[in-house]
Amino acid sequence: MRFYAICVYLFLYIPIGVIALFSFNAGRHASQLQGFSTKWYGKALSNPFVMDALETSLTVAFCSALFASVFGTMAAVALQGIRGPVRVAFDMLIYVAVMIPGIVIGIATLIGLVTVFDQLNPLIAAIWPEGFNPPKLRMGIGSLIAAHTMFLMALVVIIVRARLAGMDRALTEASSDLYATPMGTFRQVTLPMIFPAILAGFLLSFTFSFDDFIIAFFVAGSETTLPIYVFSSIRRGVTPEINAIGTMVMGVSLLLLISAQLLLQRGGRKSR
Amino acid sequence: MAIEAYTEVTLPADRKVVAELRGVSKSFGDVLAASDLNLSIGEGEFLSFLGPSGCGKTTALRMLAGFEAPSEGQVLLDGDVVNDLDAHNRPVNMVFQQYALFPHMTVTQNIGYGLRQVRPRIPKPQIAERVSRALEVVRLGGFDDRKIWEMSGGQQQRVALARAIINEPKLLLLDEPMAALDRKLRKEMQIELQDLQRQLGITFVLVTHDQEEALSMSDRICIMRDGRIVQIGSPQELYDRPNSRYVADFVGTSNFFDGTLQGSPEGLSTVLLDNGMQVQGMAGDGLVDHQDVCISVRPEQMKLSHQGDGVEVKVHNRIFLGEHTEYLVSHQTLGDFLVLAPRQADLTEGAFAVGDTATVSWEATAALILDRN
Repeated sequence: MRFYAICVYLFLYIPIGVIALFSFNAGRHASQLQGFSTKWYGKALSNPFVMDALETSLTVAFCSALFASVFGTMAAVALQGIRGPVRVAFDMLIYVAVMIPGIVIGIATLIGLVTVFDQLNPLIAAIWPEGFNPPKLRMGIGSLIAAHTMFLMALVVIIVRARLAGMDRALTEASSDLYATPMGTFRQVTLPMIFPAILAGFLLSFTFSFDDFIIAFFVAGSETTLPIYVFSSIRRGVTPEINAIGTMVMGVSLLLLISAQLLLQRGGRKSR
Repeated sequence: MAIEAYTEVTLPADRKVVAELRGVSKSFGDVLAASDLNLSIGEGEFLSFLGPSGCGKTTALRMLAGFEAPSEGQVLLDGDVVNDLDAHNRPVNMVFQQYALFPHMTVTQNIGYGLRQVRPRIPKPQIAERVSRALEVVRLGGFDDRKIWEMSGGQQQRVALARAIINEPKLLLLDEPMAALDRKLRKEMQIELQDLQRQLGITFVLVTHDQEEALSMSDRICIMRDGRIVQIGSPQELYDRPNSRYVADFVGTSNFFDGTLQGSPEGLSTVLLDNGMQVQGMAGDGLVDHQDVCISVRPEQMKLSHQGDGVEVKVHNRIFLGEHTEYLVSHQTLGDFLVLAPRQADLTEGAFAVGDTATVSWEATAALILDRN
């Protein structure tokens, strides 16, 4: 059993290890190790296309994680107060949203947005004052943020819900017994207690959005995120520069994921 | 019948009523958690709801707190109907079973929580002063900046108390506050709670399933069963004049013998026991001729002697309790029952050993004729 487990882990992690290893390759070919160097990191970071894509990715990741955290928390808190079939239905939909393949979300979002834009654009043009260029809704950073927010929200809802479920109901009752209004209770008791979970949800969302290729590929329009840049440059051959980018992305993602995990654990302990 | 029996023991007429339940019922779906509760709570009173779990006592308390709205009837505070008043608008505070202290706040922050919600705002120095006074009252001076999870169960209990009493509520509701404490600490807290209540003059409403707790602390006890109030009275009244077998069994211990009432129940009446014996006893209210009843005799009202009148029994077991000796005796047709003999009786009459035969007797006035339920 242990032997197989080791094989599985090797199979999973050796390619990642190889990418990290080759990012320090001194030579210019991705298949031949020729001494140690960090020059590809420098090259990647000074490449304007990479930096552009990185900026887009960071903007999208930050905005969608922020929106997902806010809306997801709101949904989780609201669901906590609901019983019966409505809650069951929402619970199911949320799990579906998490499990559904990225490609389905990508295509669905693309078709949905295109259809809506096609309907709205003539309308906007019609009501826009004469002589001004009417704005045109199209795929771009906005649609990227929207699509990511949609699927990340479900993730935040699940994380925050778990935390809320672990919270003693008597705490909110005690707060309202001590004259706090519902809003006051949320601000002074609920929010501080679920905050680690919200932060963890934010970090996870950030990572997922930052790493996402599939959905972004469909809805990015003319924008290029880092994963899309990596994908398009691979078609021109894998260079150690790509390895360097991959290693950096992985390092940052890992860091965020570990912080999220720590936050969830610490939050869970404190509430006991 | 039960309603008549408990309205007889109401508050003294000159007592100011702070809270009242009028025909209050509460159902959760198909489950009737509380049914037709009628009760007045007097100012400065220590009232307990006593009953087994699921009898509706916590529901009653939660309706007073404002966490549940009654399905029927009215809840009154200071003469005003407060059915639709949310918990945060009621001048009532609660000590929760697991204390429900805010884990992300210090002791001081927890205790001052209620005062911080008051609008217009109370000046900070004034809050700080009242908090430190409340800390003194519950004898937790110096614990100001402790974290909640650094404190023991007893200390947390005191914080919960301080957090509630600092607001000087009209009613202090206590939901099984001692359940999480060990036995010794519970005794201490019971005494302290009583002292606190006398000192502050706040009306206390306690929910408990522990009869000892209710008996030792309350001015009045409200016995509940299946969502209904069975009897309300002072601990002595409930002990001496229970209105049903249920109350006699729940408050203290008693021996019960089933039988049928003979003749109209007026004072001393005769009961034909199921084994054919005829016994006299004091009839309770609301009984009718030929009703199935039971005779209740407290173990300490029974006298065990070597010879004389009475029922002949065999000593089955003997437990020495210091000032008392508890005998478990068995009678051929009445079955097993308990007799509690004071130490003095053991000394003068001589103690009984397991296997001895003895006679048990009791005064007819000590035997209560009660409804079987």
